[in-house]
Amino acid sequence: MNSVSITGFGIICAIGNDAAAVLSSLQEQRTGIAPMRYLDSIHKGKLPVGEVKLSNEEMKGMLGLDENAIVSRTVLMGAIAIRQALNLNDQTTKRPNDSIKGKRIVVISGTTVGGMDITERYFQQMQEGDALLPLIEKHAPGSSTREMACLAGLKDAEVCTVSTACSSAVNAIILGSEMLRNDEADIVIAGGTEALSRFHLNGFGSLMLLDGECCRPFDKTRAGLNLGEGAAFVVLQKNSSSSSGEAGRGLYIRGYANRCDAFHQTASSENGEGAYLAMSEALQMAGLKPQDIQYINAHGTGTPNNDSSESAAIRRVFREHIPPVSSTKGFTGHATSASGAIETVICILALQHNFLPVNLGWKEQDEACITPFKNSKLINSWMSLAPRRDCSRGTKFKISGSEKEFKISNILCNSFGFGGNDSALVISQEPSDFAQNMPVEVEVLADERISDVEQLSDYREFISPGEARRMTRLMKAAIITSLKALRHAGIESPDAIITATAYGMLETSEKFLIDMLENGEETLSPTLFMQSTHNTLSSAIAIRTNCHGYNITYSQGKDSLDWALRDARRLIASGKAKTVLVGCHDEATPTFQSLFSRMGKPIPPALTSRSIVLTHNPHNS
Amino acid sequence: MEQLINDLKVQIKEALHLEELQLEDFDENTPLFGEDGIGLDSIDILEIVVLLEKEYGIRMSNPKEGKAIFHSVRTIAEYVQKVKSE
Repeated sequence: MNSVSITGFGIICAIGNDAAAVLSSLQEQRTGIAPMRYLDSIHKGKLPVGEVKLSNEEMKGMLGLDENAIVSRTVLMGAIAIRQALNLNDQTTKRPNDSIKGKRIVVISGTTVGGMDITERYFQQMQEGDALLPLIEKHAPGSSTREMACLAGLKDAEVCTVSTACSSAVNAIILGSEMLRNDEADIVIAGGTEALSRFHLNGFGSLMLLDGECCRPFDKTRAGLNLGEGAAFVVLQKNSSSSSGEAGRGLYIRGYANRCDAFHQTASSENGEGAYLAMSEALQMAGLKPQDIQYINAHGTGTPNNDSSESAAIRRVFREHIPPVSSTKGFTGHATSASGAIETVICILALQHNFLPVNLGWKEQDEACITPFKNSKLINSWMSLAPRRDCSRGTKFKISGSEKEFKISNILCNSFGFGGNDSALVISQEPSDFAQNMPVEVEVLADERISDVEQLSDYREFISPGEARRMTRLMKAAIITSLKALRHAGIESPDAIITATAYGMLETSEKFLIDMLENGEETLSPTLFMQSTHNTLSSAIAIRTNCHGYNITYSQGKDSLDWALRDARRLIASGKAKTVLVGCHDEATPTFQSLFSRMGKPIPPALTSRSIVLTHNPHNS
Repeated sequence: MEQLINDLKVQIKEALHLEELQLEDFDENTPLFGEDGIGLDSIDILEIVVLLEKEYGIRMSNPKEGKAIFHSVRTIAEYVQKVKSE
């Protein structure tokens, strides 16, 4: 029997610096959302946030680093969580023990802001003098993952960064599971990390998604989210065992799915289509029915739109079998790209200790929302309905004598992001068997490129003036090469869209950053922020081609395209997709180019866009 | 009022990159949102909120409460004038 087994985990977030602290905060219902203390922002004293309760200097101390070293908070938290996951608790233990020597190790991290906390602090100094110039290389998400792996003694490990905004970490865990399934790795360390930055705090502010009070997911009066931060990683290994009895002890990644809402860059559809598809497919892969799930850890950000859309999707999937649901963002805040891994570890703790995390902050029912689980005393009244709800499969709820025992075996964990990047995981105490994919021949149906701004002049053939008004050159190029490639391949909508980008949306990010640094943290443009995440391109292509299938963005420097192509091959081999659109898109602003030129490094081109359509070649396999 | 309406038209056209829209065709009574109007969306409302704060010092914390304000350039102008006179 082959299954993906969880053999370790680490976590650092607003409610604790390790798993034990997180567990006690959850069980004692202590929130980590508090007045801002570590982030240097004008919103101090006004906006509550879910900060990790450690300064950068304290974290450097924990990692044995010089207190003057310039290391991104994203990297510091990520390295701490990875070291915990590998049981490297002592800072003097630089390397994991010999048991993993010679093994193929992969570190996969989900992040979006990457080293933005460094960039926003030193951007002006980088332009004025040469001393801090090399810091620009810490900006890209891929470099932060590399640095974390090194700090955990894994400098030879393969590293990969997934950037699908707030669902990044769950997509990292899905990728890790798929790599194990395809025998591309022996040990995967997958999760996510994201530090608070003024950049995305103000970005969420510009979209009016922040609540000035503590967030109230699913509550009628909910008014937005509280931004949080943190990191969490799980260690995944393939469990090959002939006896199912042995495999039955432990924790497993049993099912997962990545789907796209293909609706709007920052809003979810009313009926939660992407979320519905992701949850349904994850259950199907796990071989489970709605009534087999004992708890849903919702994405539940506390924004009016997310919570009603997610509720609609949960109702569509679970109908009369909705299990207890809670959002734990009332504890942790919304740790964006890291949230999926933080919540995966919370689900692991719930399974190990057989308890249900409550939905803090909920008071008033909203008809558009599910009723979340808010009081552990209420589990008995919920349980009294259980035998009736579950009459056909009465084995899940043990009732002994007058004492009812609620046993959690299977948990669904939702994680959704901007651009409708919706993913779901099923974490279980029982493994599910999976077959290893057979290698297949992949055929290139089309390959289109743009390498010059001049080539954008005929964009009107593909993009209406209404659409064009918000599009940067990179976005136009990505849409044009994608649509040309699909047309050449004779396909209207691909089964999956995979995007590779080393630096992402530099033009919009830089404009937003400069506006913030020059004019302050107010009156910033929501349009610019909305288009600053690395997954902007992939989701815009999905919206344009109405593709609700698999959608992911890789950001691992020059290796990004390679990761994207590997993923496409995996999807085709598993039969999950017949046609895959792979894109590789990057841009460089004049400022960015001049920083590289001053460092004496090769100057990145102003614009490159390439779109490839891949399919299975039945003749060569 | 007419001056304010004209200023708003120029400012909205620029902030929302409405390059194809000619100012002489930009009627202050045309609905800004929906298919019968200019075709703006919720993100544009947020951009107009930013514009009102930058240009007129008007701060709106909840744009949903003032949905009627964003109906057309004229309704925005009336709102600006009302707030300024208070």
